[in-house]
Amino acid sequence: MIKIENVIRDYHAGETVVHALRGVSLDIDQGEFISIAGPSGSGKTTLLNLIGCIDALDGGEIEIKGEKVSTMGKKDKTNFRRINLGFIFQTYNLIPVLTAYENVSFVLSLLDIPEDEVKKRTMDLLKEVGLEGMEHRRPSRLSGGQQQRVAIARALIKNPDIVLADEPTANLDSKTGEDILKLMKQMNKKHNTTFVFSTHDKMVMDYADRLVLLHDGQIMSDERRA
Amino acid sequence: MKFLITFAFKNLTRYKRRTLITAGAIAVGIMMYIFIDAMLMGAEYESVRNLKWYETASARILNDEYWENRQQLPLDLSISDPDKIIDRLDENGIIATKRISIGGDLILSSQEFGEDGNLPVTVTAIDPSTDNEVFHYADTLIEGRFLEQDEDAALIGSWFAEDIGAKIGSWVTVLARGNGGFYEAIDLEIVGILNCPNPNVNRTLLMIPFDTADYYLAMDGAATEINIKLSDLADVDAELPAIQELLNGDDLTVMSWTAMARDYLALAEAKRGGTGMILFLIFIIAAVGISNTMLMAIFERVRELGMMRSLGMSDAKIRIAFMLEAAGIGLLGSIMGVILGIVADFFIINVGIDFSFIMRDMDIGYRIQGIFRGAWNPGTIVIAFFAGILISTLVAYLPTNRALKMDIPSCLRHQ
Ligand SMILES: Nc1ncnc2c1ncn2[C@@H]1O[C@H](COP(=O)(O)OP(=O)(O)O)[C@@H](O)[C@H]1O
Ligand SMILES: [Mg+2]
Repeated sequence: MIKIENVIRDYHAGETVVHALRGVSLDIDQGEFISIAGPSGSGKTTLLNLIGCIDALDGGEIEIKGEKVSTMGKKDKTNFRRINLGFIFQTYNLIPVLTAYENVSFVLSLLDIPEDEVKKRTMDLLKEVGLEGMEHRRPSRLSGGQQQRVAIARALIKNPDIVLADEPTANLDSKTGEDILKLMKQMNKKHNTTFVFSTHDKMVMDYADRLVLLHDGQIMSDERRA
Repeated sequence: MKFLITFAFKNLTRYKRRTLITAGAIAVGIMMYIFIDAMLMGAEYESVRNLKWYETASARILNDEYWENRQQLPLDLSISDPDKIIDRLDENGIIATKRISIGGDLILSSQEFGEDGNLPVTVTAIDPSTDNEVFHYADTLIEGRFLEQDEDAALIGSWFAEDIGAKIGSWVTVLARGNGGFYEAIDLEIVGILNCPNPNVNRTLLMIPFDTADYYLAMDGAATEINIKLSDLADVDAELPAIQELLNGDDLTVMSWTAMARDYLALAEAKRGGTGMILFLIFIIAAVGISNTMLMAIFERVRELGMMRSLGMSDAKIRIAFMLEAAGIGLLGSIMGVILGIVADFFIINVGIDFSFIMRDMDIGYRIQGIFRGAWNPGTIVIAFFAGILISTLVAYLPTNRALKMDIPSCLRHQ
């Protein structure tokens, strides 16, 4: 599904070079629920960005669904993301002027899906993530946990193969964070969607079926738990 | 596309104050554009009318050699039998009147005017029975009466009268060279004062009866010009060849008012260019306003932009979204601007602005005496409306491009 081979990413900040990833290799299968864990600055975000085709490799290769990321042009990457990838962010990144419904359904409008199908799928999924009755609220009238549920629905609405979540619970209290993880896991089992999420929180790591520990841009351990 | 439109519209409501201020700036620009254009249109329209009504008529018949020597006001380069020509024109349904233009000196005596003085004048001798069919002087009489045939009397422009202190019943003397070179002094009683809306005329006008000039200056029935009135809608230049046809063999030329008023028309053209610059500046200001607003709007939403790009929204769609948003501001500004512009037009068209304090002492070229009145120009209103939207839309392109140049991780990290 996802083949990561000896990936290198360096950041140049003036004279100094930061080696954010120093040869990371990892294989991820369809339907995995995998956590990339590690302290701040260890390269989690960088790795997720590379898998998400929104950053450029300095070395190595990533192959997703048989496609080599390094050979994709800018437009190819955009199209690839639009069809195959869902994103969940630490700060939710909902559009404040749109309702919960609109924040989710716009993803489908990018895919030219007929309107009645958009409506049905969006309403069903919002119900599934526990937001029934709140479809027409704007983000400002939703709690942090509810906003992240909208974001999960937004990531899943197009039935992507992979959902990437960069510290999805870091802005939530632990109880709400746990609820979000449970929801993610539930979606993972139900739709067989691959979830790759990063965290530096011990509690969150415990939910993962597979835990990859990252330190200074290198993998320290890779353990399967389920 | 439907989503993009909804999205753009909803974003407009996000910063209501800023949207309104920017739209307001555009509206003011559009209003100014419509207003200035209406004022200029009115001024030009009225200038042309006042030129034709009080200076050039629609066309003029002259001796072949008169025009190039017109500075000297030569009496010998004349039309020897004007009545024959006028009859011929009349048979063809063309209204005409004969005139003599005389250069001379106006002599003012101390008994009448407090001190002796003299100044150059151009005296216009008119046929009182037909002049008003071509020109419109009778309507401008504010004091006294109009001229009668064959009397030693004169009409004077009201500003001219004011300048020299002439009143009804004042006597003035015109010293002029008659046809043949002799000097003749003509004593004239001021019988009427004309307030001619054409400032060039009102400042200098002295009018006497044709027969009086004929007699004193030994014109032997000759006129220096025959003025022709054509319909206001007529294409004068197109009708000239037919009139010229009637003149063949008489050494006469017919000229259109556009040829005679070439100086004025060139000036009007230049003014239009100048105001074009002002209008251009107004639009630049509106453009800078909206570009700034869009820049702020875009950079406040960089993280959102990063999210949308991550989810695979193409640069083209993002560009459209922001340009639609700017178009919305432009639309709002255009609607407000057109409404304000129409209100301003109502004022300038029905009330006008009184510039007589300037026009009295200064010649700015327009043949308007005091009150500037505008004229409706629907074309400009439509153009301004669409220009407001179009410029706003185009101006959003650059800031959007700037934001799209950032890489996606930087967008997502943006605070
Ligand atoms: N755009 C960048 N420019 C320079 N250095 C960066 C940039 N992005 C990340 N880094 C550096 O790369 C390293 C890894 O960062 P990151 O992937 O964000 O780690 P994590 O998400 O685990 O906190 C850090 O040292 C960070 O400072
Ligand atoms: Mg990070």
